[in-house]
Amino acid sequence: MIEVPDLVAGALAAGTLSAFALGGGLVRSRRRQHRQLAEIAALRTRLDGTARAFTAEVEHLAARRVPAAARQVAHPHLSVPGPLQPLTVGTPLGIALENVVLALQSEAAAQRTRIDAAAQAGMRGAVREIQAALYRLQDALRGLQQRYDEPELAQTLFRLDHENEQSLRRAQVAAVVCGAWVGLAREESHLVDAVTGGQARLAGYHRVQVHNHLEPGTALVSHAVEPVAVIVAELLDNALRHSAPDTEVVVSLEHVHHGVCVTVDDAGLGMTLDERDRAQRLVAGDDPILLTDLGDPPRMGLAAIGRLTRQFDLSVDVSSASPYGGVRAVLRVDSHLLSRLDPADRPPAASAPRTTRTSRRTAPGRPAAPVPAHAPAHAYGPDAGAPEAPPGHQEPQEDADGLPQRRRRTRAAAPAPAQAPAPGAARRPEEAAAALGALQSGTAAARAAARQPGESVRPDAAADDFDQYDDTDQIHDEGGAAR
Amino acid sequence: MTRRPAGRPLVPAYLSTGGVARPSRPHLERLSVLARSGEPPPAGLPAAELALLDTLEDGSLAVVEAAALLRLPVSAVRVLAADLVDRDLVLARAPIPPAERYDPDLLKRVADGLRALKLRP
Repeated sequence: MIEVPDLVAGALAAGTLSAFALGGGLVRSRRRQHRQLAEIAALRTRLDGTARAFTAEVEHLAARRVPAAARQVAHPHLSVPGPLQPLTVGTPLGIALENVVLALQSEAAAQRTRIDAAAQAGMRGAVREIQAALYRLQDALRGLQQRYDEPELAQTLFRLDHENEQSLRRAQVAAVVCGAWVGLAREESHLVDAVTGGQARLAGYHRVQVHNHLEPGTALVSHAVEPVAVIVAELLDNALRHSAPDTEVVVSLEHVHHGVCVTVDDAGLGMTLDERDRAQRLVAGDDPILLTDLGDPPRMGLAAIGRLTRQFDLSVDVSSASPYGGVRAVLRVDSHLLSRLDPADRPPAASAPRTTRTSRRTAPGRPAAPVPAHAPAHAYGPDAGAPEAPPGHQEPQEDADGLPQRRRRTRAAAPAPAQAPAPGAARRPEEAAAALGALQSGTAAARAAARQPGESVRPDAAADDFDQYDDTDQIHDEGGAAR
Repeated sequence: MTRRPAGRPLVPAYLSTGGVARPSRPHLERLSVLARSGEPPPAGLPAAELALLDTLEDGSLAVVEAAALLRLPVSAVRVLAADLVDRDLVLARAPIPPAERYDPDLLKRVADGLRALKLRP
């Protein structure tokens, strides 16, 4: 029976061992469980923290960053705040949030451009109509000015015309800012006329002094006339607006190497560096124009200049200060936009300032105009009359209205030497007058004889009388040699 | 020959007189005749007045003729001319009155008288 206790002892030992083993395993697993629990708790707190941080980040995005980003589209100088946790920058979360901001900004910018384009289209349409109506009003007013010269009425008409010019300028500038054409086709004109025309569109035009140092006959090609007038008007308006009412605004027109410069100097306050930068950016016309950028009420002058400089290849500089203390604005017109007009053939407007340069004309007074190529307007006389016209004498020529215009003879003392006709072909004015006079008295005698037998008035008698009048006039002018 | 520009004038008429349409002397009429007095123009004369003096360079002109040459309304030329007359640069002469029309009453009485004479014998 010795084996039983052995067996028991063995079993006991095995049981103990396994109990130890089990107990150890149990303890280990309990420990691991503890560790895992702690880990889970830690993870849970971290998760909670992360979720809270994420929520806070998104809330921050919604409350601060998105509005700021949207505002930055309109006002680039505003800054967009960064993420709440600076550590998220560069992490996938940070990048994702950044993308939200960027996508929002690009969509907002696109939307803004679209809305602005719609607003511009609406305004363009309205302003175009107004501009056309104002041109019709201008025609009516100018017609009245020609017809009535009673001083009180004329005074009123002048005032209305001036008011109309100012409204027209505003409408035109608004149309140009909204991307429309200047709205008026002009023919080739003297540059000084375009500048003076621009000056006339302003309320304070009395304060503007124009000094014209251009070669006589310096003109603009037709498509550049109205843009130059608009730009000059806007530059002058700025100058007048930002200077004291008792100071003058000085404009000078000068030739430069590649064209002509129109310099506008005012004696006002000048601009700060920021204002100057903004103005220079606007007049350069490189950035697209949005109405919402122009303020309320919109300041359109510089923006209109920007559009026109870009469209017509002109250049405007407002970055320098004037020696008078204010701003100096310089409009440069390159030579490809310039042309020449004969000042004798097409003189500049009466109110346009004279050039300070002396004319290169050889003869004093008005030189003889080039002889018109078409047939003479009078009914008789040699057919080849035109080339034989004596120097200093001008054929009655039909103007645009189809009516002959009476011209005086220029002083016979100084025929332009360049126009001296070839010997033989020439006739002195008196000879020509005598020949015409003889012809006239001949036809008058024949007509009187023909009228004798009964027929009193021929249907074309009136026309004949008119011609006769015309020629008689010339004969008076020629010194009455025919009588 | 001065070609008349076809389009709308660039420079409005009021600019020539600085917006004034009431002449300083009222007696200038459409047909008043202007002539230069021969005085040299002083410096600083407005451009439009110089232009008017230029058109009178070649002889005298009526106000309407000067207006047509300068392409200005008559009212503006009257203001310019009045100013130049004030400065003794231009002489103005009243227009030549058109010949008087016969008084129809008088003619009728003469005709009646003649008829009476003719009927008497």
